[in-house]
Amino acid sequence: MFGGPSFRRGLRDSALIAVAVFLFGLAYGVVAVDAGLSPTLTMLSSFITMSGAAQFAMAGLLVAGPIPVLIAATGLGLRHLPMSARLAEMIGPQPLGTRLRLAFVLVDESFGLTLRAADRGVDDLVAYKSAADLTLYLGWLLGTAGGVWFGSAIDPEAAGIGVLFGLLFLGLAAPMVRSRRDWIVAAISVVATVVATRILPVAWQVTVAATIAAVIGVFIDE
Amino acid sequence: MSDLFVVLGVAVITFATRVSFLISPRQAPGGRVGRFLDVFPVALFVAIAVNGLVAPVGSPELTANLFGALGGVIGGIVFRRSVWGVFALGALFFYVARAIIG
Repeated sequence: MFGGPSFRRGLRDSALIAVAVFLFGLAYGVVAVDAGLSPTLTMLSSFITMSGAAQFAMAGLLVAGPIPVLIAATGLGLRHLPMSARLAEMIGPQPLGTRLRLAFVLVDESFGLTLRAADRGVDDLVAYKSAADLTLYLGWLLGTAGGVWFGSAIDPEAAGIGVLFGLLFLGLAAPMVRSRRDWIVAAISVVATVVATRILPVAWQVTVAATIAAVIGVFIDE
Repeated sequence: MSDLFVVLGVAVITFATRVSFLISPRQAPGGRVGRFLDVFPVALFVAIAVNGLVAPVGSPELTANLFGALGGVIGGIVFRRSVWGVFALGALFFYVARAIIG
């Protein structure tokens, strides 16, 4: 598996996304320490969680205490449920250790890459995703470390990192929008997200908007 | 100590949601649940994209971000839905717009 053609393709396809993840990790390292999380706990959170959304929410809500943070993490994590189901379907029967390892780095970026790889007929999706997971995980850890130790020199907002990430996911979504149903679901998701940004807390915006669009999509023929 | 509890709690919750359908091998759901799983990725990625472009700091901001979105859409058309075409043209439009309008 490791070193095979699918693994190498996963490394290649994820390399530039890993750079974006590194930048996002930089931003997280800065924000987390600024919010009062110690450098050690900031690094620990990246080692054991590997979730930009949940970790940023944690940093943002830290002052409010543990309960709001855990509620936000739950809301943000709900979108992993259909991703987990879809990944299980794509990889088929695998040893428990493999499934746990792939679950650990089930992030939006590696999920999107794996979906695209499946569409393109990549042979070994486990190897592919493993490679993507490795590069993204390293990018995230190195970025977090950079943010923690060089944070004072970095302004994530000035760098436009939030917008860059939005563009990254626009790019990942583009090849997935093919059928009439996909276009309608995408349009509903746009509207639902814009509305959600005005009326919902940050932790719920994406999950609620995506769920509404997907539920409506269930009743639309392709 | 409470920060450590929070960090560990977030990690456990995040992993639990990710491993939910992977913990034991089972047949993929069919019917409406299967259809939901088919369309959810598109809905999710578009939601993340729009959220990052419209509200990168958690609340709506209609400035250079929209030019970035426009650039991304144009990039998707010009470069035939290439991930990097969308990203590169969108980033270019964003930074140029921000340089001009602030």
